[in-house]
Amino acid sequence: MRRLISHLGPVIMLMAGLGFAIGAATSLELGSFRRMGPGAFPLLVGAVLSLLALTALIENLRRPMHVDKADPWAVLGVIGGVSAFAFLTPLAGVLPATALAVFATGSVIPEFRWPYRIALALGVSMAVWLIFVLGLGIPFVAIRGL
Amino acid sequence: MDLLANLALGLATAATAQNLFYCFVGVFLGTFIGVLPGVGPLAAVAMLLPVSFYLPPETALVMLAGVYYGAEYGGSIASILLNIPGTPSASVTCLDGYPMAQQGRAGVALFSTAIASMFGAMFGVVVMVLLAPKLAEFALLFQPAEYFSVMVLGLVAASVVSSSGAVRGLMMVCLGILLGTVGVDVNSGETRFTGGIQELRDGVSLVVVAMGLFGISEVMVSLRGATQSYAGAGLTGRLLPTRSEWQRSFMPAIRGSTVGSFFGTLPGTGQTVASFVGYALEKRVNRNRAEFGKGAIEGVVVPESANNAAAQTAFIPTLTLGIPGSTTMALMLGALMIHGITPGPRLIAEHPDLFWGLVVSFVFGNIFLLILNIPLIGIWVRLLRVPHYYLYPTVIVLICVGVFGISNSLTDVWATLTFGVIGYVLRLFRFEPAPMLIGFVLGPMMEEYFRRAMLLSRGDPTVFISRPGSAALLAVAAFLLAATILPWKQWVLQGMSAVRNVGLK
Repeated sequence: MRRLISHLGPVIMLMAGLGFAIGAATSLELGSFRRMGPGAFPLLVGAVLSLLALTALIENLRRPMHVDKADPWAVLGVIGGVSAFAFLTPLAGVLPATALAVFATGSVIPEFRWPYRIALALGVSMAVWLIFVLGLGIPFVAIRGL
Repeated sequence: MDLLANLALGLATAATAQNLFYCFVGVFLGTFIGVLPGVGPLAAVAMLLPVSFYLPPETALVMLAGVYYGAEYGGSIASILLNIPGTPSASVTCLDGYPMAQQGRAGVALFSTAIASMFGAMFGVVVMVLLAPKLAEFALLFQPAEYFSVMVLGLVAASVVSSSGAVRGLMMVCLGILLGTVGVDVNSGETRFTGGIQELRDGVSLVVVAMGLFGISEVMVSLRGATQSYAGAGLTGRLLPTRSEWQRSFMPAIRGSTVGSFFGTLPGTGQTVASFVGYALEKRVNRNRAEFGKGAIEGVVVPESANNAAAQTAFIPTLTLGIPGSTTMALMLGALMIHGITPGPRLIAEHPDLFWGLVVSFVFGNIFLLILNIPLIGIWVRLLRVPHYYLYPTVIVLICVGVFGISNSLTDVWATLTFGVIGYVLRLFRFEPAPMLIGFVLGPMMEEYFRRAMLLSRGDPTVFISRPGSAALLAVAAFLLAATILPWKQWVLQGMSAVRNVGLK
């Protein structure tokens, strides 16, 4: 199974290369050698990428490259943090969004204790206000309704 | 006399209060992230890109450069005290630095790395002052074909040092170039690969790509990783090396700086290669080579002088040819381009204040670093005791605030997250995202020169090998590729066993 997953990497790259090359050839002007159109260069690079991906795939079939295991909690923590920021900023302002994002990302670290998570969330919000709003003068809505 | 006038101009630019302040901020942050294992200068420069938009270009470059070379100073501290390199280029310093700390000579090791770093950096700056204007003058002779070939060389060099192999490195370069073609084509005005999405017409933003690939995905990798903080006794024992240690260090420092300056100038190789080669070379020529690996002072002096010299000379190809020597340099080029400055051989002539101001700021920056690393060394040792989990949530928020701050659009924040996930998946599959970023920055320029060269040659693709300059550059690139891809070692062994067999008969 892990062997099959390992082949997936070069296959994805092959698809990306073919995708760009075919997309360039079918929907963009290729032009002549002398006056190249917008599609010529992407077609060339896409073709090179496909060839390289094929080479890597053959190499991988002979000697599969080790694939690292994903850490779903870490990914979830980061996605949760960024999403919290993006959702809360228009609703409540940058500072509450910052606090929640720090809190959300911090929650997936097991050895990080609750009081410290809250303290870090508040501290980082303060720092963001000091550096970005006061220091650099970026026109953020710090806290909506204030 | 010309040189003196230029340096005076540089001094006038670098010695303003604003530039000195941002130089200090840069080297301070550089040391900070250098000390902490797991976060490299690349992520730090990516995170500072948005801030740099609010500054004039020379100030922005002074600050970003400070982060870059400041990290080299900080990187050795964790190597010596924890046996974990703070930056990849400080990994060689572990070999002798950690044994020195175990013998109770941590103070001496830290002191001599700071001095060696300063020595290497100053050596690199001198090389840069002498070499860069000459190289730029020479590069003015370049025509589009040569520019294209020099970029091919830079990209090949960047991918062959990639840890997952040259083929995979080159694949990432191609992917980066293709990503760079998204948006409106400047020659024809046609949109490419936008899928009808309006926001993509201007192309994908460098900040979004860099922060996603290096900030977000790096946090995903290290967020829940084993973190070790320093539990040692702190600095005990003397700080100053003895007279014989000073004497033993002098020639190695010169040799290290020379090796470092060479590999720093070569595009694609950088501090890490410099420190490895410097150490290996010193082990061959040094009289005390038997002590290497057991706490020899030369073993910390050589890699540190080499990687700091390389950190300074890496600016030579970046600023004279527009070819970034490393991924971090690619980001700095990107920052310059966002400020409307085109990197290339005309940069020194057109923006002398920028170039010479930067050179002089290196001197100030290194003085700041020496102060940060000798009298204030205690701060960094204490920093190593702080648990790392405070860092990562903070980094995530800084990325969000930074992206949101420049574009005021939450779409960009989502796009950054998307690139973060892509970068993480690529890493799982053993594709390093670093060459991709270099391809992304160089791609549009490369296409431009490719099309111009073909136009000038009236559609004859042999122009790239019929012009001697271009042919020579491509030959070097081909040689680099052949040197890594072909199984030389196997052939030599086979040849040797064949000879032995013949000899037996």
